[in-house]
Amino acid sequence: MANFIPAGTGGHTGWRAAVQKLGGNLAGMVIPNIGAFIAWGLLTALFIPTGWLPNEQLAAMVGPMIINLLPILIGYTGGRLVHGQRGAVIGAVATVGVIVGTSIPMFLGAMIIGPLAAWVLKRIDAVLDPITPPGFEMLIGNFSLGIAGLLMAILGFLGIGPTVNALSDVLGAGVQALIDTGLLPLASILVEPAKILFLNNAINHGVLAPIGVVQAEEVGKSIMFMLETNPGPGLGILVAFWLAGNSVLRGSAPGAIVIHFLGGIHEIYFPYVLLRPVLVLAAIAGGATGVATFLVTGVGLVATPSPGSIFAYLAVTPPGNHFGVLLGILLSATVSFLVAWVILKATKSGDDDLAAAQAKSQAMKTGGAE
Amino acid sequence: MASISGADVKHVVVACEAGMGSSVMVAKMLAKQLKDNGVVVSHSPVNQLAETQHDVVLCHRGLSARAKQAVPNSPVIVFDMFLGDLRIAQLVDEIKRGATISDE
Repeated sequence: MANFIPAGTGGHTGWRAAVQKLGGNLAGMVIPNIGAFIAWGLLTALFIPTGWLPNEQLAAMVGPMIINLLPILIGYTGGRLVHGQRGAVIGAVATVGVIVGTSIPMFLGAMIIGPLAAWVLKRIDAVLDPITPPGFEMLIGNFSLGIAGLLMAILGFLGIGPTVNALSDVLGAGVQALIDTGLLPLASILVEPAKILFLNNAINHGVLAPIGVVQAEEVGKSIMFMLETNPGPGLGILVAFWLAGNSVLRGSAPGAIVIHFLGGIHEIYFPYVLLRPVLVLAAIAGGATGVATFLVTGVGLVATPSPGSIFAYLAVTPPGNHFGVLLGILLSATVSFLVAWVILKATKSGDDDLAAAQAKSQAMKTGGAE
Repeated sequence: MASISGADVKHVVVACEAGMGSSVMVAKMLAKQLKDNGVVVSHSPVNQLAETQHDVVLCHRGLSARAKQAVPNSPVIVFDMFLGDLRIAQLVDEIKRGATISDE
């Protein structure tokens, strides 16, 4: 089993685990709050002036949700990861300092100040806990949190808010330059291999979505939500395995297709690519095709589709964008299928290890699949 | 390396990055296969494994280093495929037979 994945066992011990961990922490602040993002995304898709049912009064919720609620939730969750409920509360308090005085959604700022404030409180608690006299726990606990929270909010207001604001401007300008010059499809060269290494959540929720949300707030949609979440490339690879893989993988491919494309759990196709790492070329080609199609047809999404299921995609596609979105997914699946099919056909005989195949089919009979 | 007798396994935790997607899926499939053995199968983000109750941890190879970092003294069983994986089938078998489960 150890050599089942050619990528080997050494690769994930060092930098990859470290990057995954950082990304996991970023994603860990966002993913539990996806439901709130969806509420905001649907609200936006429905009620803004260019939405399905324009309604000025209901649309008044759009701004406060994206500017205030979502960053505070992220700061709250980030604080909770570091220091439980007390960390969550101080994370939320400190996040308000970052939000006030900016007009952009302060996701990155919340991701910094939330855990930082909780970490500071953790240090303070470690000092105060042993010297707190019995009966004074609540008094000291409440006021230490209150005072530290106030100070962290001021730090956020004066230091972190403006810094992240400037950083967002640079990032936004960089992305805009990529869009304007038509180079954005090249992002797939980085995004697709990173996904296969289980950095998918880190890239989408940690990097792309915060940029996308700023754009979506300004113009009602963003292509940044679509770089990592497009289910097309994975679908193409799985279909290729279904039609041209060895007998064992062929058996599990249909189930994987349903879970991937309809259920939105992209992780399910990563192992298929890790089996033949050269297949990452199919993912890149498919991904770049998709991004190019989205770019040419000028489409975007109103919020991040999470999980990356076709249903989530349709739910956050704004009016008039469905053709481009579906075309992009279809073309990316087609291209990745064709490339993967050629690769599988060309390399078939060498990899079809009969013993491994039998072991695998045995495994499928004794459990796992259903 | 850590090991445990399959007969002592009462709680398996499946870990993934967010603890909300692929781990839930694997946990559900595993729970179905182990429901007659009184084994509880739950799921968790890999970063929060240390806070979970578990006898055995199960995670994909891509996350195994972090799982081992999080719970160095627990058996961390590593699988490669989300559907039809040989190691998961073997784990089920080891629990049912009460054989020794080891993460090599």
